[in-house]
Amino acid sequence: MKQLKNFWKSGGFWIGPFLIVMGLSAAFVSGSWLPVPAALAIAGIVILGLWLLFQGRLVLSFLGKRSTQAGTNAVAATLSVLVILGLMNFLANRYLVRVDLTENQLFSLAPQTQQLVSNLEQPVKVSIFDRVPNPSDQLLLQNYQRSGGSKFSYEYVDPQLQPAIAQEYGVTRFGEVHLKSNERQQFLGNVDPQSRLTEVKLTNGIAQLISDEKTKVYFLQGHGERSLKPADGGIYQAVKSLENRNFIIEPLNLAEQQDVPADAGVVVIAGPKRALFEGESKALRQYLQLGGSVLVMVDPSTDPKLNTLLQDWGVTLDNRLVIDASGQGQLVGLGPAEPLITNYGNHPITKDFSGGYSFYRGARSIQTNEVPGIEETPLLITNERSWAESNPKNQPLKFNAETDGQGPLMLGVALSRKIAQDGVPAAQPSPAATDKPKAEASPSPTPTASPATEASPSPTPTESPATEASPSPTPTALPAIEASPTPTVSPASPTPTPTPTPTPAAGKPAQTNTEARMVVFGNSEFATDGVFEQQLNGDVFLNSISWLSKQDAQTLSIRPKETTNRRIAMTAEQASLLDWLSRRILPAVGLLSAGALWWSRR
Amino acid sequence: MKVMLGNIIAIYRKELQNYFVSPVAYAIAGFFWLIAGVFFTAILLGQEGVIRQAALMDIQVQQTGVVMPPVDVPYQFLQFFLGFMGQLSLYILPILSMGLYAEERKSRTLELLATSPITNWAVAVGKLLGVLTFFATMMLPILACELIALSAANPPMPLSVPLLGHLGLLLLAASVLSLGMFISSLTDSTILAAIITFVVVVFLSVIDLLASGVGGPVWQVLGSLSLLKPYANLVRGVVDTSNLVLFASYIILGVFLTAQSIETLRFQRS
Repeated sequence: MKQLKNFWKSGGFWIGPFLIVMGLSAAFVSGSWLPVPAALAIAGIVILGLWLLFQGRLVLSFLGKRSTQAGTNAVAATLSVLVILGLMNFLANRYLVRVDLTENQLFSLAPQTQQLVSNLEQPVKVSIFDRVPNPSDQLLLQNYQRSGGSKFSYEYVDPQLQPAIAQEYGVTRFGEVHLKSNERQQFLGNVDPQSRLTEVKLTNGIAQLISDEKTKVYFLQGHGERSLKPADGGIYQAVKSLENRNFIIEPLNLAEQQDVPADAGVVVIAGPKRALFEGESKALRQYLQLGGSVLVMVDPSTDPKLNTLLQDWGVTLDNRLVIDASGQGQLVGLGPAEPLITNYGNHPITKDFSGGYSFYRGARSIQTNEVPGIEETPLLITNERSWAESNPKNQPLKFNAETDGQGPLMLGVALSRKIAQDGVPAAQPSPAATDKPKAEASPSPTPTASPATEASPSPTPTESPATEASPSPTPTALPAIEASPTPTVSPASPTPTPTPTPTPAAGKPAQTNTEARMVVFGNSEFATDGVFEQQLNGDVFLNSISWLSKQDAQTLSIRPKETTNRRIAMTAEQASLLDWLSRRILPAVGLLSAGALWWSRR
Repeated sequence: MKVMLGNIIAIYRKELQNYFVSPVAYAIAGFFWLIAGVFFTAILLGQEGVIRQAALMDIQVQQTGVVMPPVDVPYQFLQFFLGFMGQLSLYILPILSMGLYAEERKSRTLELLATSPITNWAVAVGKLLGVLTFFATMMLPILACELIALSAANPPMPLSVPLLGHLGLLLLAASVLSLGMFISSLTDSTILAAIITFVVVVFLSVIDLLASGVGGPVWQVLGSLSLLKPYANLVRGVVDTSNLVLFASYIILGVFLTAQSIETLRFQRS
């Protein structure tokens, strides 16, 4: 007993806190609690507890009867205060009020997000496959959780520690973000130090995940297009990414079926090597006239014979190879024939890209001339020190003012054209172009179009089925869901008004279908496997498809939260004043007056 | 009520007077200013400082033409500096609170206080206000430096976020001082009081890291005891009622426990 007393007196109890701190730091460093850190911490707590007991016994021996009673009262009071404070905090956590005082409401969610997340019907889970949670991402996710309640959850998964979950989601690298709701899951994107999770991305991802609409994307086949399966130069990754975003991917062989299926949301022509047949290009043209969407990606030194189609839209493919001599690309290991794009047009496809890179190995430039009724926006613009080389075999590459085209050049363009309600282009670019399909492409489009136009005057608010009807030129294409209401409308236009009106879904696609859209890239290499997931290449492709599929009407327009661009513009005097004041004058004042006081007290 | 307020003010004045004639207090302030000043210049004007980093980025933008996301330099500076001040306060505050009661015990004046007609909690509140005022006074010259820096912001910065951040610092300080005061009332060794306070405070500030590392509901509750997390929230510019309630709870708990511990002392000696 005496020895124990001496042990405590000589400061032995310090071993307690010391061991606890050791245990805690060991736990931090090793990242796990077993077995050493826990043992250290427990030993520390035991020693500290023993000391407290010992002290308590000393104290207790002094206590008389009255003091013991007072002690019990004190304990009861303390306990009740603790309970009250605990309850207060619990309630405050439950029903909290948040005020965001930052200028641009940096830490608040947009009303659209709040509405979406608080009205979730199915639980939505965000899984981020990364080792270390990023604090700013976590803040955002916590905000979502706050408005989503039990319906929204998120987790960080280390793909190396939990490979089973990673495999379930098909994770291939760190930083992947996946969404899951019931059985549906969707890849959202990657997070890394350059691109953090944003509200725009997350909210639209969730909106897409819980929506029931699926758009069909057809990939044209039969002319040496890039393979949809894992193959050399294929676009398997791109196809997979599209499937992850709720698109249905199907190959399209226009040699087998005459027309583009009526349910086609987007038709993609990905790097054809051989020419399209006249009939095929006609089918595409007709599809576009009825409000379709086409993505064209053509590599240099190929001629897919798409000129007539593209000329309707005022687009010409330049066959010269784009050379980038700025040296920007060399910094990241790209050659002169792989133009690096940092300059993007102001368009929904590229609006989030400012400052990002994408690159295009072996690209041809695109020229456009204005066509009335068509709105065009350049998407990818090469830098000043690039040119279109007419003779790339002639080494070393040099700009030749006579045969080469001076940059900046356009590698990609987005075009849209309003379609009048009856399914005829609002502004016909060239009479020859429109006359031709009418004359040749069987009588089918015209007859179906005409009942449609007849039908349209009667149900004024529901002109939608009319325009919907028009894309079904042949009865064979009828299985399409959208086409089904048409037969009922067209034969007896005045009577069936009740049938189309109650279909609420009809309004939406009709609205979107009043615009034909086209995106043209002078390159298809950028979307191929291996390159697709690098930099912004994949985003260029995916965003193009989602713009073409006219999902932008349903994506929520959330303004990205941006901080104010602000600098501290300090004069040299101010800087040196601050330097002197903070590092020299203030400490000197404090320490000198301490010394003076101490001296005077002596 | 009026008497109570008068009592609190009397204790408060006595405490403050103690600080302003104590060489130790000036020495503490001197070291505090030295450390804060060194970091202030490093964060603001140093090689890796916010101004230089932003200038470097601007030059890069001019050279390459790559568009960079906007940067709010004064806001960034505030985040870094107030974050650091929070950490520094954890070291300084236990030293300020260590003597609050331990000194009285040592100089045998605690009995006088304990048996005086002034209620224990009034004494505690007076002492807490005194030491908090001293801490705020120590912060004032640093605040002046910050204001000089922020006044050079272009475009000018609204002061709501900086004000909120400093309010957060004051609340953090009050919570730590309140707890430190209780620990100081338990012992007659000032050094012991400082060290135990320091250990408790460090534990409370890392507890949310621990909690997120371990997981589980119990740790989640423990994690919400964290002091630095609500502070960081306020510094960021977000007022969360739960954070304010947490700080208030710490302050009230500290004052209450101090009063209780003095109360039991009164009976022990009788």
